[in-house]
Amino acid sequence: MAEVLRRVLSPSSAAGPEEENTAEAGPPLLLLCGPGSGKTALLFAAALETAGEGRGPVLFLTRRPLQSLPRGTGAALDHLRLQKIRFQYPRSTRELLHLLCSAHEARGPAPSLLLLDGLEEYLAEDPGLQEAAYLAALLLDTADHFSHRVGPGGGCGLIVALQTQEEGDSGDALQLSVLQRYFPAQCWLQPDAPGPGQHRLRASLEPGGLGPRAEWCVAFRPDGEMTVTPWPAQAGDPSSDKGSSSGGQR
Amino acid sequence: MAGALPAVTLPSVVAELLSEMAAAVQEGARIPDEHLLSLKFVFGSSAIQALDLVDRQSITLISSPSGRRVYQVLGSSGKTYTCLASCHYCSCPAFAFSVLRKSDSLLCKHLLAVYLSQVMRTCQQLSVSDKQLTDILLTEKKEEA
Repeated sequence: MAEVLRRVLSPSSAAGPEEENTAEAGPPLLLLCGPGSGKTALLFAAALETAGEGRGPVLFLTRRPLQSLPRGTGAALDHLRLQKIRFQYPRSTRELLHLLCSAHEARGPAPSLLLLDGLEEYLAEDPGLQEAAYLAALLLDTADHFSHRVGPGGGCGLIVALQTQEEGDSGDALQLSVLQRYFPAQCWLQPDAPGPGQHRLRASLEPGGLGPRAEWCVAFRPDGEMTVTPWPAQAGDPSSDKGSSSGGQR
Repeated sequence: MAGALPAVTLPSVVAELLSEMAAAVQEGARIPDEHLLSLKFVFGSSAIQALDLVDRQSITLISSPSGRRVYQVLGSSGKTYTCLASCHYCSCPAFAFSVLRKSDSLLCKHLLAVYLSQVMRTCQQLSVSDKQLTDILLTEKKEEA
């Protein structure tokens, strides 16, 4: 769902060629980051963005209920949008597998976006390669089924967030490469040098050959508010960084 | 849309080869030898084994009233393997080893057989209930060598 993430990250550029793509789901996206980053907030922002599009509901899968709803950028906690986000909390890999395998049994409108937070926790239970591939493939298959139910002109997007280890071993690298087979579009979140009282990330979106690579700076204020600005093209030109107030130290 | 392939996962040369084969079948012609040779070139011995599976009508497309589908392939050993319809996954050990771990092969023979049977339109069809389809998807993981 690279397009949704791109729209979340560049609300000001939502007009123009991307208008035609509003109904298209785009390729499945893997959101990769280290610990303690804002992946949940980004996923939630994508959920809100899609919920506001007037299509189907959003299905947000996570192991534990969110402690607090992340504050987003711009059009945020509109009740109508929130009502369209359905949270489910599969507590184990087995429950997640059951949820995905039985997704076609559920009646009601098909979701227009499927989100999974914390894939690494589910993989940790069953770290084999075939198990990882099966989980990834089932996620794709479930989103594909929802897309067919939605019908032409729509589709169900898929964004999965995965926390990676900094000091992973070769087994982790192999598992990641297996997952990357199933998710052609990826967005890497890397911590940026933190300013005082501010948590910043560099978000690098690689749409898997279906669009240009793009980067943004995602900053979280102490009150939880998230702001997004384009990443400066040249490191030596801090004056072009409009949003960030903490100077151009890099 | 018979023969629709997930473009994201198949290299374009393979997707093109398969669609040329589909076009030949649609025109009522048999598959030209050059296509079969290309298949063997790309997939090696898996191509012959896959064609054999197709000949023996070993591929079944299972669907339920929900519209969700999955493939099952009766392997040469008599074991049944499950292949997803929307992306590359097969429950067989060769998929886990050659495709995932070693990246030696693009597809296992069962997945290739599924593609070929789509192209050649020789799939068996089976309808099951939504609940039965859930069970099929859940148990595929348990295939052991």
